[in-house]
Amino acid sequence: MIKLRNVSKTYHPNIQSLRDVSLDIEQGEFVSIVGQSGAGKTTLAKLLIAEERPTRGKIEIGGWDITNIRTREVPFLRRQIGIVFQDFKLLPKKTVHENVAFALEVAGESGRRIRDIVPQVLKIVGLDEKHHRYPRQLSGGEQQRVVIARSLVHRPKVILADEPTGNLDTLNTQDIIDLLRKINEFGTTIVLVTHNRDVVNSLRRRVITLADGGIVSDQKHGKYLIT
Amino acid sequence: MKIFVHSHRVFLAAIQNIFRNAWLGIATVIVLVLALTSVNLLVGMNVLIGNAVKLLEQKIDVTVFFKQNANEALVTQAKFFLAELPQVQSVELLQADAALEQFRARHAADAEILSALDELDGNPLGATLRITARAPSDYPFIIDTLKNPQFTDAIESKTYDDHADAIASVRSIGDYARKIGAILIAIFSLIGMLIVFNSIRVAIYTQREEIGIMRLVGASSFFVRAPFVIQGIALAIIALGITAGFVAIGIAWMDPMLTAAYGGDPGLRTYFSQAWPRLALIEGGGLSLLIGVTSWLAAGKYLKR
Repeated sequence: MIKLRNVSKTYHPNIQSLRDVSLDIEQGEFVSIVGQSGAGKTTLAKLLIAEERPTRGKIEIGGWDITNIRTREVPFLRRQIGIVFQDFKLLPKKTVHENVAFALEVAGESGRRIRDIVPQVLKIVGLDEKHHRYPRQLSGGEQQRVVIARSLVHRPKVILADEPTGNLDTLNTQDIIDLLRKINEFGTTIVLVTHNRDVVNSLRRRVITLADGGIVSDQKHGKYLIT
Repeated sequence: MKIFVHSHRVFLAAIQNIFRNAWLGIATVIVLVLALTSVNLLVGMNVLIGNAVKLLEQKIDVTVFFKQNANEALVTQAKFFLAELPQVQSVELLQADAALEQFRARHAADAEILSALDELDGNPLGATLRITARAPSDYPFIIDTLKNPQFTDAIESKTYDDHADAIASVRSIGDYARKIGAILIAIFSLIGMLIVFNSIRVAIYTQREEIGIMRLVGASSFFVRAPFVIQGIALAIIALGITAGFVAIGIAWMDPMLTAAYGGDPGLRTYFSQAWPRLALIEGGGLSLLIGVTSWLAAGKYLKR
């Protein structure tokens, strides 16, 4: 599903964020990418959604070589990957329903399809009752669930979650992880970028550990190793 | 089909943006109205100055005083000769008797002048021709024409020589005022454009986060930019409407005062009522184009990836 071959990323003037990273993530996997601050986790996430381009190496997602993806092709890639961020990234002037619908509108989906899908995904994340509220009227956990709902509307094969629980308390963190686990059970690949030890240890799934821009460990049923 | 769905959504998003960013929209409209009003103010001032100069120019004439013994037929011939010149707008002939009558009426309160006239044998005044040219620049030609030997012997004096400097001054003030007016309009338009350019950039800067989010969820460049362009053009149209209202109110308020000061129609109402389609097209079209291009470029700045 996701294939990285000898990927490096160097920022100007000479800051190497990723060094010769190679990995394969199969369809349906739940992979946690862990590491300390500055290990290269966020850079890796940005490369996967084409927010950055690699300095060297090759990246493929679902068989699509996105190493040198054209700017006009980026929206099509992002419609195939569900993206969940720590800071939610919801449109503040749109309601919950509109935020979720927006991801379909930009893809040119019909109004009828939008009216069908949006209530379904809001029901999955348990926010069907709050569809008319604005993001500021929701708790952090609820906002993150809206983001997950938005990431689901295109029925993506991959969801990339970059520190999705970073701004949440323990209870909400568990809710969000349970939700991601549930989505994974339906066959969606989940790439979870996090530094939350408890989350990683409770999952008992594949863990890739980054340090100084390189992979130092890749365990099938791993634990959070960094101290 | 998708293009219609997209266009419909882009249009709806623009309308929604206007209402949900109402304060930002109001601030932008105020800036646009100020820029447009200052340009229209200068256009109006230019019209007023131009008309003032035109009024002064219309007051200029040349009066030719014929000798007392000038042949009446010659005077009449001079009148018709001048009236046929394309440079001449009107020629008014005052025969010697009428000239005396007018002189007496003008000095009715001055007993000394009247008694002096009575002491004279007959009419001391000759016939008079008052000539008005189509343009001040035509006077030198008319005066040259009067130097025709056929007429020179019969002419006592001409007033043009006394007014020549004044006519030249009025002409030069008129030309100068028109040039300065055009330059000021150009400068104010440029300043207005810069203000509009910056206010649109600031308005879009405040929404840069949203632009980034739209991009992240897969919005194409067009889908992000187009609502900003439509929103900007809609604000320009609103600003144009408000400015037109201000101009109309300003004219209605000032017209009676200006009419009194000019001693006639100052021409402001006439100018704007005739030129408004052209002004609306230039100002509205220019502003919409400027805002459209600025919005497209400014939004693009936050669309990088």
